[in-house]
Amino acid sequence: MRFALAPLGPAGAAAAAGAVLAAVVVASLAGPLLDQADPLAIDAGNLLADPTALHPLGTDELGRDLLARVLYGGRVSLAVAAAAAVVAGTVGVPLGVMAAFLGPRGETALMRVIDVFVSLPEIFVAIVVLAFLGGSLATLIGTIGLLYCPQFARVAYGMARSIRAREHVLAAVSLGGGRWWIIRHEILPNMHSVIVVQASFTFSFAMLMEAGLSFLGLGVRPPTPSWGQMVGTLKDYLFINAWPVLVPSCMLFATVLAVNVLGDWLQDRLNPELQR
Amino acid sequence: MCRFLLRRLASALLTLVLASGVVFSLIHLLPGDPVVMILGEQAGADPVAANRLRSELGLDRPLPAQFVAWVGELGRGELGRSLRTGEPVAAELGRRLPRSLELIGGGLCFAVLFGVPLGVVAACERQRPSGIAAAALAVAGFSAPVFVIGILLVIAFSLWLKILPSSGYVALAEDPLTHLSCLVLPSASVGLNFMGVVARMTRASLADTLGKDYVRLARAKGLSRRQAILHHALPNALVPVIAIVGIRAGNLLGSMVIVEALFDWPGLSSLLVSACFARDYPVMQGSLLAIFAIFVVISLLIDVAQGLVDPRTRENAA
Repeated sequence: MRFALAPLGPAGAAAAAGAVLAAVVVASLAGPLLDQADPLAIDAGNLLADPTALHPLGTDELGRDLLARVLYGGRVSLAVAAAAAVVAGTVGVPLGVMAAFLGPRGETALMRVIDVFVSLPEIFVAIVVLAFLGGSLATLIGTIGLLYCPQFARVAYGMARSIRAREHVLAAVSLGGGRWWIIRHEILPNMHSVIVVQASFTFSFAMLMEAGLSFLGLGVRPPTPSWGQMVGTLKDYLFINAWPVLVPSCMLFATVLAVNVLGDWLQDRLNPELQR
Repeated sequence: MCRFLLRRLASALLTLVLASGVVFSLIHLLPGDPVVMILGEQAGADPVAANRLRSELGLDRPLPAQFVAWVGELGRGELGRSLRTGEPVAAELGRRLPRSLELIGGGLCFAVLFGVPLGVVAACERQRPSGIAAAALAVAGFSAPVFVIGILLVIAFSLWLKILPSSGYVALAEDPLTHLSCLVLPSASVGLNFMGVVARMTRASLADTLGKDYVRLARAKGLSRRQAILHHALPNALVPVIAIVGIRAGNLLGSMVIVEALFDWPGLSSLLVSACFARDYPVMQGSLLAIFAIFVVISLLIDVAQGLVDPRTRENAA
């Protein structure tokens, strides 16, 4: 992916991506300060309007201000993705590290199970679970987070295994270090770069997953906006006005692209030995 | 080769059995009562009727007994009847399965037709504008949500050019031409998204292969760069590309859900989504199982294809 912005060089591409991401995050957080409009206020005289002075990005099918909704929706989309990545990491990393220290039989068994879950198409499990458990934000975050924790576990397992074979770990073992001591002091501190990179990829997967589920009507429920949910609703009005649906679509695309470019740069920076 | 095939087939069957267990327990362990969905308000008011319906549907029996009954029906090729319509589930799945397969097949065609050339250009023209543009396109396809690609295609081909329908489905037997024109945009959306995966893998693998001695030998014996790439490097570089299609088959099926919703395509996953909202257990189980079966069959075919192309992979598989 670093080739995408090759004229700028890898660092330039990452800087551009970082700027985009920072702009999106700041705008979403500071939304109410930038834009006084209420994301839920209905302006019945202006349905599916193009940008005007009153509504800088136009309005949706109920005449709600799109700029305000995109900013609030950004908060929801970013927060769900970030929280899901945190859940995936806090469950997945201990699982993976544990697998590396279980002894050969436990290791194989646990990793077999994890492999089955890694290969499952996650979205179908998410659809069934969310259709039953409803669309509260906590359920959504938990479901997405748990679905991506096997991938995290697999990466953590691979890394923990390779660190386990290094000399400083052997030295710690021969000096009488216990299993927990070694995990805490020798393994985990050497894993943070891999965890950071995997977290950035999980963030982009989680963001796409939330968008897809909300698009289907199973994720974030109205009236709370999220980018995916806005696209899901506004696509029905495409033939009346194609503009409104493009607004959340572009935000989603730009954010995921920026996260992916940054993730690749981090991967090359932090783990140069891992060539894909 | 025969032993490899048998072993791979056995492991695919095992995965499918495991998946059916997961499907069944997932659906039955989650809260939600289909009897309440069917009877609505009445269920609370008339517990006798609710209990009668529950025992008619077999929902009052213990879970293991329900599972055994379901597996027994599966063995006879039956999947029960829909709680909503009373129609046999297997017949509905039979009608919808080809439509979903069509979508996936079409998507794969688009992905390979665009992804492989993009990857080749990106690997061979690394430093030039054409290579950079190709890589950028691949990243864009990879990062764009499927529905965003779909919406852009609808705006371009239905709204502006008015040459392709924006949604709907017409049976092949009824009107082959309309059928195909309805298929183009949905499968292009699936394909252009997956194209990113194919192009990335092609680029990485070909860049690796271009440095190999046999490619340098091909150049040294006087072949043009073009011939050396197309006839010597590319065929070998495509082996990992076949593998990535199998590894990422989950993405392909995930796109299918979104695309079926966006284009009103009456396939398996739109059936699953509507059955979920209605708590229609037999339909949910059947459609999930069919989707997992597609997934298992894709992985199986990919593994066999790889085994055929590259005998070394037969050793590690299964």
